[in-house]
Amino acid sequence: MGRVAPSRMHRRHYVHAYLFIAPVIVLFGLFRVWPSLQTLYYSFFKVELLKGRLTFLGLQNFAGLVHDEIFRAATLHTLIYAAAIVPIAAALGMILAVLFNEEFPLKELFKAIYFAPMVTSTVAAAVVWWWLYNPQYGLFNVILKLMHLPGQPWLLSSRMALPSVIIFSIWKTLGYNLVIYLAGLQAIPHEYHEAATLDGAGSLQRFLRITLPLLAPTTTFVFIYNSIFAFQVFDQVYVLTGGGPARATNVVVLELYNQAFQRYQFGYASAEAMVLFLFILGVTMLQYVYSRRFEVAY
Amino acid sequence: MKWRPVVWFLLAALAVTAAHVSAQPRRTITLWYPAGDIAAGPVSPFTDPNLFAPFEATNNVKIEMVGVDYDTMVQKIFAAAAGRNIADILFIDTSWLPGFLKEDLLQQMDSAKARKWLADVVPDVVDLSDYGSGTMWGYPQMGYDIYGLTWNKAQFKEVGLDPERPPATWDELRDYGKKLAKRDAQGNLVRVGLAIRHVGNPQGTVHKFTWALWGAGADIIDNPNLLHGGKPAFNNAGGLAALKLYLDMLNVDKTTSLSFPDPRAALLQGIASMQISETVSIRARQPKEAPNMPWGTGWGMAPPPVRKTGDRPGVLLGGWLFAVPKSAKNPELAWKSMDWLNSEINDYRIARRFDLTPRYKANWAKDPFRSDSYDQALLKIARYGRRLPINLGLNGVLDSLGFAIQKALHGEATPEQALAEAERLAQKAIDEAAK
Amino acid sequence: MTLRRITTYLVVGLGAGVMILPFYWMIITAVSPAPDIIAFPPKWIPSHVTLEHFQEASARAPWLVYYKNSLVVATASVGLSMLFGLFAGYAFAVYKFPLQNFSFLLILGTLMVPVQVTSVALYVFLAKFNWVDTYLGILAPNFASAFGVFLIRQAIKSIPMDLIDAARIDGAGEVRIVTVVVAPLIKATLAAVAMLLFLSSWNDFLWPVIVINSQGLRTLPVGIALFKDPYGNINYGPLMAGTVITVGPMLLAYAFSQRFMIRGIATTGFR
Repeated sequence: MGRVAPSRMHRRHYVHAYLFIAPVIVLFGLFRVWPSLQTLYYSFFKVELLKGRLTFLGLQNFAGLVHDEIFRAATLHTLIYAAAIVPIAAALGMILAVLFNEEFPLKELFKAIYFAPMVTSTVAAAVVWWWLYNPQYGLFNVILKLMHLPGQPWLLSSRMALPSVIIFSIWKTLGYNLVIYLAGLQAIPHEYHEAATLDGAGSLQRFLRITLPLLAPTTTFVFIYNSIFAFQVFDQVYVLTGGGPARATNVVVLELYNQAFQRYQFGYASAEAMVLFLFILGVTMLQYVYSRRFEVAY
Repeated sequence: MKWRPVVWFLLAALAVTAAHVSAQPRRTITLWYPAGDIAAGPVSPFTDPNLFAPFEATNNVKIEMVGVDYDTMVQKIFAAAAGRNIADILFIDTSWLPGFLKEDLLQQMDSAKARKWLADVVPDVVDLSDYGSGTMWGYPQMGYDIYGLTWNKAQFKEVGLDPERPPATWDELRDYGKKLAKRDAQGNLVRVGLAIRHVGNPQGTVHKFTWALWGAGADIIDNPNLLHGGKPAFNNAGGLAALKLYLDMLNVDKTTSLSFPDPRAALLQGIASMQISETVSIRARQPKEAPNMPWGTGWGMAPPPVRKTGDRPGVLLGGWLFAVPKSAKNPELAWKSMDWLNSEINDYRIARRFDLTPRYKANWAKDPFRSDSYDQALLKIARYGRRLPINLGLNGVLDSLGFAIQKALHGEATPEQALAEAERLAQKAIDEAAK
Repeated sequence: MTLRRITTYLVVGLGAGVMILPFYWMIITAVSPAPDIIAFPPKWIPSHVTLEHFQEASARAPWLVYYKNSLVVATASVGLSMLFGLFAGYAFAVYKFPLQNFSFLLILGTLMVPVQVTSVALYVFLAKFNWVDTYLGILAPNFASAFGVFLIRQAIKSIPMDLIDAARIDGAGEVRIVTVVVAPLIKATLAAVAMLLFLSSWNDFLWPVIVINSQGLRTLPVGIALFKDPYGNINYGPLMAGTVITVGPMLLAYAFSQRFMIRGIATTGFR
């Protein structure tokens, strides 16, 4: 068979191209894009699923959100959660990565241990932690008792519940940050360190002057990536506290889940989803701006 | 010309199918009930596949009983209703009722039938059935699901209290608490006098608080039979006194603690001497979780204490309801089967067989119910039974009150602030639901 | 220098101890006799190993059914996403066609809108054609993977076009080229994508818990979350047995392929 004329080949390939992308486009259109547009649409309506009725409300749902103390508190908790877990997990990940950048026995095993929470289901891991946090028999209080320290109420106290959830999430994400930072460190050419050592810089100075600035792109990535997931936190809160006590750990996704699937306020929940989307969009825009800037810098 | 045999074949197949179907005259209707032993106490009658056998035989129908998971049952009912794929009979928690009524999901019971039922059953069941001037949304279950004070008799004896005499007033309750609470060498509470619910689902927190609220003359909503509108009735002297009672035991007496999340479990584990919640689940769980604490000699139950001598206690009379959804495929048959199940004869038969309490006045006059000590103790408490309001905004009201209680107990707000905030949110929920 | 070594080793080792503690305690609780679980001082090693909690856990919940559901869902979603992703990735990498960039951005754009945002509308949408509480309902948002399409496209772009052209000259059809020529060349990427998708489906919770009501359709994460008594009865033995059942297979698979899994997850930034 000889070469096919270019024009014919192209037309044939249009057919192929569209056939090949059709399943993905159709499925994404139906189950991802269409619901996204619907979310926006519903956020302006009162949606009564059982009666099959939509009542146009204009911006009333959003106006309601502004005055809704519960939603405002949920937003605040989500922001606190993100503001705590992102820098702490990043800092710990970076420190560990610097330590891991040296050779020592059983290094790969240790790395695997740090990473293990990443592959476990958040829900199952949270169930285990829920047991560890039990005030009477849980391991954490038992260890405190062994050290003759007073037991803590952990998840049962409205003040400690959110920090307890944050501690769990740090445990869960630390391994990922460690591996990312390790990759970032390994990309730093050795000569930099050698030159600095010759200049007489101590190890702390080398870390502050060389490692930290050169890891900046990695840090940006880790921050943005972790923030996006922090805004979507749900699984661990659902299992550990259900949003309590006294709504102290209620977060945006849990709130919209309750509005939609416990109270059947689908329109209002859609408005809440739009707010969540704006948060994520904001962070993603930030990522876009920053990645541009770093491209220029290098 | 080839299509002719095909048509003949299809017609034949159709005829055979039709004949088959008409030869199978038994219709099937479905009943959804919560699986597990959450619902009707120790044994659920629905575990018996032949429960409806006599009815099925005379009416040529099959009643299929489907156990649905309690945690997601409301969600499943809503989803099924939206998909027009719902059961003919629903056995539902009455606290879900407002949500269902708001979505216009249930059929109202025939008023003549309702009148007859209300005349035949004992007053507590009337209370549970009548949603305002004879309106009924279904038959309440057999077996009381009533809240009450339960206590550990051995621990009463241990500290020198009369094990047969529970505290009757709030003052006595606090006093008993001081005697019963136990501390370890470091001063940490290892046993509380009265265990309280302070975390978890806010509605559960309210359920376990109603005794104090009602005992102090306050209420959840001013008119419990009003579907639309109304006012929260807990932000007043009574509501404040109830909340302060909890706070005093927690912070002044230090006889209760925030580290004992489930009062019932705490009682059964021996780390709480008293608790106030569903009596029926103590009875259901005790044989397995606390085998050395049998009913009568191990634990007792009584109406909860009142604010001062002479006040009337108020206890939450929970309940499950046999209801028929509007989109049921066989509503007539569904109601007919429920009329049969809840007839006087079957009330006796089933209550006796499954160790539940009957509902008809006539059946209470018969043995064993007339003389059984547990049943009689239940009846004594049930005299003070009250049910949750029916208001369409109830869910929002209970959520705000529940969180207010949790907030006050956790020191997030003063009791005054917490109740004022809850009142505002509750009013908003009532008004929005009434729209 | 050696002192620094020792400090490093100590810090890393201590941290690893903290990281592994929950797993260790989960297993110990699952196999310890009931009195050991609440003993003080804690029993770090059970007085004897018992399987009673596993028996009770399996009496109280149909774990095999949960396994089956998780497997069905994960296999179907991985299989379909890989199949569709391979062809779509090929089309985006090899062909030039109108609306190419638009459709590619459309697919990538869905990454911006997580299921947390769309869940409500998706639920309402699926309720209309009765997909709520069905396998199809769980699968709906997971029939295809934007990440998968993207990674496969990148991998195919790095294949020399000559190889594809040569296959065309030999008279191979496009479908045949994709399956016989291209797929084997990018099998490392395909394996990584498959692993990621499987993991994410296996651990997915929010969407299944929304769309599933029947016990018979629950996946493992939903099963374990609802197995937990919300108010803290101390039936922790069976509960931990349940978590061992839930996370066991994935941890085992991880133990045998941890380098591959770490690399896969780290390079694609999946969680």
